[in-house]
Amino acid sequence: MSPKPRARRYAIVSGKGGVGKTVITANLAAALAARGSRTLVVDADLGLANIDVILGLNPSGTLQDVLSGDLPVEEILLSTRGGFDLLPAGSGTMEATLLTPALAESVQAMLEKLEPSYDAILFDAGAGIGEVVLFFARLADEILLVVTPEPTSLMDAYATVKVLARRFGCHNFRLVVNQTNPRNPEQSGSLVADRLQQVISRFLSNESSKPVRIHLAGVLPSDPAIGRAIARQKLLQETDPSAPALTRIRRLAESLDSASQPAGECSTA
Amino acid sequence: MEISRFGFTVSRGEVKNWEGLDLSAAIRILENAGREDPTRSALPPAAQLQSLIDALCDLSMHDGLTGLVNATIFRAALASELDRSSRTGRPCALLLVDLDHFKDVNDTFGHNAGDAVLKAVGAYLKRSVRGMDTAARAGGEEFALILPECGPEAAVRAAARIHGGLNPISVPVGDAVLRVTASAGLAWNDPGAACTAQMLIARSDAELYRAKNAGRRRLSYAPLASTRVTAAEHASLVLSRSQEDSYEP
Repeated sequence: MSPKPRARRYAIVSGKGGVGKTVITANLAAALAARGSRTLVVDADLGLANIDVILGLNPSGTLQDVLSGDLPVEEILLSTRGGFDLLPAGSGTMEATLLTPALAESVQAMLEKLEPSYDAILFDAGAGIGEVVLFFARLADEILLVVTPEPTSLMDAYATVKVLARRFGCHNFRLVVNQTNPRNPEQSGSLVADRLQQVISRFLSNESSKPVRIHLAGVLPSDPAIGRAIARQKLLQETDPSAPALTRIRRLAESLDSASQPAGECSTA
Repeated sequence: MEISRFGFTVSRGEVKNWEGLDLSAAIRILENAGREDPTRSALPPAAQLQSLIDALCDLSMHDGLTGLVNATIFRAALASELDRSSRTGRPCALLLVDLDHFKDVNDTFGHNAGDAVLKAVGAYLKRSVRGMDTAARAGGEEFALILPECGPEAAVRAAARIHGGLNPISVPVGDAVLRVTASAGLAWNDPGAACTAQMLIARSDAELYRAKNAGRRRLSYAPLASTRVTAAEHASLVLSRSQEDSYEP
C-alpha cells in the first residue's frame, strides 16, 4: 500500500438548482464521516451558499474572508454534528460568479494546506455552469452529478456534462438520481441514467476523445424526511435515522469509499 | 509638405500668421490639451506644420482623459476589423465594459475622483490587450475592446481574464482607496454571416445589459456553440410521458 497522496476530492454539481444537491452533500459527508473518513465540505457556491443554514450553524467567517486574505482558514472551519468539517461560504456576496486568476490560486493554496488533514473533500458547487462551478468540477477527482427525473433537471445536467466534456475533457461522471418514485427508485434511477447516457453517447462522442460515461452511483427516493430535516436544520441521521433516503445516502457513501475507479479526470487545461 | 512651395520663408514663431493659414485656433486647441505648441519649437517650418497636424490628428482620435481611442475611431476600427474578418474568415470579438455605479463615484467623491477611476481603468485596459487589439473609451464610463482573430473560446478566456482583473480596480483618492467594479458584455461575429459594426455593438450591448441586470460585476456572453444544448439533444433527452417516472408527492 502506498501512502495516500492527498484527500479524494468530489465535486457535487447539478446544473439545475433545487434538486437536492446541498442536502445530499451534507448527509453524504456525514455518512462518509461515519465510515471513518475524515471529511471536509467546502461550500463552493460563492453566490448562494447555504449549507451552513441547512445545518443550523452560525459561521464566524466565510470562505470569501479566507480567499481575500482577511482570515486564516483555521478560523472559519466549523465542526459539524455530522462528524465532518465545513468551510462555509458567504451568501449573496459580491464574488458571486467571479473567478479571477488570483481567486483560483487562493483556492488551490488553501486546498493544499487543508488536504493532509482529510480523506475526502466535497465541493458543494452552485447551480448553473458558471466559471466557479466549472473550476471546482475540474479541481475534483470525481464529479457527482445530482439530477431529478424532471426534464428540466436532465437538460441542465446534460448541459453541465457537455460543457465539462467539451471544454475540459471530463469523461467520467457519477450520477445521483434524487426524488425518484419511492415505489421503484431503482427503475426510475436507471431510466434516467440510461437516457442521459444514450444522449451523451449519441451527441458527445468524439473520435478524438475518450467516451463520456455516466455511472449510476446512487438513487434517492422522494422522502418527506428530507423536508423535515431541512425545516429543523438538522441532518437526516438526527431527525429520521431510518429514513429511506438516508439508507440510500449511506449506500452511496459506501460505493464512493470502495470505488477504485477514477472518475473525474478532467484535463487541467 | 515643403513650405517653400508656397513661397514663404518664416522664422521661428511666425508660422501662425501665414497668409491664408491662420493656425491660431489649432495652436490654442493644442495648448488647451496641455501639448506643446510646435510653432515655438526650433524645427524647420515644414516640420512645425507637420507636427501641428500630427498633434491635431492625435487629439481628434483619442480621448483626452484616458488616452484610449475615442468613440469615432472605435467604430471605424471595428468596421474595418469586421471587414477583415469576413475576408480572412477569422472571427472578431467585441467586449464592452461599463463601470458599476459610476455616477455614485462622481456624486460622492467628486469628478476628480471619477476621472482618476476612468484613467486607471483606461491604463489597465491598455496594458491588458495584445498589440492588435483596440482599447477604446466608447463614451462616459463605457469602454470597448476589439479583439480581432479571436474565436469564441479564446474571446471568452481573454474577456474573463480582463474582466477578472477589473473586479475590483482599486484607485487611491486622497487618503481613501476607491474600489470600483465593472460589468462586461462579450459578443463575436460569425465571419460567414454579414455583421456590421452596429450589429456587433448591439449584441455586446445586449450581453452587457444582461450582466447589469444579473447584479452587475459580471461578464455575460452568449453560450458557446460548442457547448450549447441543441434542439435534437433536447428532444432526445426529454422522457416521453409514458416513460417519465417523476414522482409528485
